[in-house]
Amino acid sequence: MNPQALEQLRPKIEALETIPTIPTIVLPLASLLQRPLDEVRVEQVVELVSCDGTIAAQCMRMANSPLFGRQKTETVKNAVLALGLKRVEAILLGCCLNQIVPPDKWVFDALIFWRHSLGCALVSSKMARLIGYPDPEKAYLAGLTHDLGILVNNIACTEEFRRCFEKAREQRVALHRSEEEHLGFSHCQSGKILAQTWSFPTDLVDVVQFHHDVPGLTDRPLVCLIHLSDMLCRLRDLGYGYYEAVGVHLAGTAAWATLVKYYPALAKTDLARLTLDIDGAMDEIRTLVDEVFRPQAPAPH
Amino acid sequence: MSSAGTAKAITSESAEDVKDAAYLKIRDVIYRISGIYHAEEKLYLLASRCKRRMSAIGAKTPAEYLDQLTMGGNREAELRLLLNEITIGETYMFRSPPQIEALRNVILPQMVQEKSALGFKRLRLWSAGCSTGEEPYTLAMFLLEESAKLLAGWTFDILATDLNDRSLAAAKEGVYGEYALRSTSELLRKKYFRQHDEKRLQVTEHLKSIVRFDRVNLSDDSKMTFLKGMDLILCCNVLIYFDLASKRKVMQHFYSNLLPGGYLFLGHAESLYQVDDRFQLVHFPGAIGYWKAPDGRSAGGKS
Repeated sequence: MNPQALEQLRPKIEALETIPTIPTIVLPLASLLQRPLDEVRVEQVVELVSCDGTIAAQCMRMANSPLFGRQKTETVKNAVLALGLKRVEAILLGCCLNQIVPPDKWVFDALIFWRHSLGCALVSSKMARLIGYPDPEKAYLAGLTHDLGILVNNIACTEEFRRCFEKAREQRVALHRSEEEHLGFSHCQSGKILAQTWSFPTDLVDVVQFHHDVPGLTDRPLVCLIHLSDMLCRLRDLGYGYYEAVGVHLAGTAAWATLVKYYPALAKTDLARLTLDIDGAMDEIRTLVDEVFRPQAPAPH
Repeated sequence: MSSAGTAKAITSESAEDVKDAAYLKIRDVIYRISGIYHAEEKLYLLASRCKRRMSAIGAKTPAEYLDQLTMGGNREAELRLLLNEITIGETYMFRSPPQIEALRNVILPQMVQEKSALGFKRLRLWSAGCSTGEEPYTLAMFLLEESAKLLAGWTFDILATDLNDRSLAAAKEGVYGEYALRSTSELLRKKYFRQHDEKRLQVTEHLKSIVRFDRVNLSDDSKMTFLKGMDLILCCNVLIYFDLASKRKVMQHFYSNLLPGGYLFLGHAESLYQVDDRFQLVHFPGAIGYWKAPDGRSAGGKS
């Protein structure tokens, strides 16, 4: 890593705190959702969600998606109830994140990015359930936000990042490797700065910072879980839209070794079946992302 | 797959029917016995295959068909017929591009590097259960194309085996229609085929010369023990017809048929879960391979 290159970028990243496109309902809703769950009235959440067309539509669409195995819901209230407040929080965050990159700054297709992020969220929560990880919603949120640094790199160093991406695609190597080589740091480090600026909880900051770099992280099972689901997604056409020439024995990775110590059920996971389930979900992930994450022009202020 | 379009058309008329819980149970039975898995989103495919069998034997509901499959006096034969329906139409050239891409981009460069270091420039591939020859000829075209690049100066041969004499005879003749050639580019058609009759092409002698056909029963220990030194085995939709004990035995043979560092590929929806624990399951983009690791090595951590 080149600490100097990253430090030069720091003021730019920290300035993202004040990006003006965050929808007006986000702050009240976020503060509501941060209270202990038993203090939050569903009606309050429903009322706030209903104020913002994008978030309301996204909640409805997700609640009705077969990916979440829900019954058909026709009202915002039923959608919020079906999804649970934690999932509403994740949707809210997704909406905010989707708006921080101006459409002309995307180095690669925003929809590809969101397919990867949503895919990773879904695979993480599915794996969490399979292995007995106690907080599948946390796993979902971690999967959704693990690549925060890619948003940062799109905005803060667009042209340099474009070159990294082109090189990675040309050489068919992992994006973070290309970033390290050509930028001097990867989306893990730049993402960490924004995650801290935004006061993400420590475990999510860890995921953002270490999801490509697990050896030695023997006490962070969540990071290992996201590392594995990130790789699975990249190997099942839910990556960054280009061919990565790799073969990975997932059960032989450091992340697997750590995770299996915490959750022995992982050793019994039917990986081939999980992989086919990911393939099966692909069409719906594409449709869902195309419908709800299509970048929109910022609302006039 | 030929019937995917039809299947979708059928199910859009009766989408609710696919949600019949019996189909999930049929899916689970098939997975448990054969290793072929259908994700929930692909149940409509399974349902359309089941419906053909249901009308053939007069089962009125998926639940009734499930009973036939699990408790009927004819259940073993019925399962085989259903498996035939499930895998029908899966035989055509270049059927699984992700497998070929994994060979081209990951496996071959790795093998070339390691074997060149030993001065051993030879590859042996085996299509186990080659049916009417589409798979071994695909491999042959792939290797010949690579022989101008990565495999310059290498020798290679392909063994193609099947139990069925009629399939083998057709494979040796090498005459194919449009369906078998649906994914074969114009360039490859020109290079490796000649016109046979109005509608069909025949593989050239050059392509044939790379493939050696033989009749092999995968359960025949004496013959299986004899086949050694393989770098790659492809065995698609064959083990699904074997019971667990036979599957395990075949896998033991495959393991010793392969050289250390060799790979086994199965059909794209097949799984070896709880069948074998010696191979390492390796993910490639869009494909899964089973690796015979040289002692003490792992393919992990290359992300």
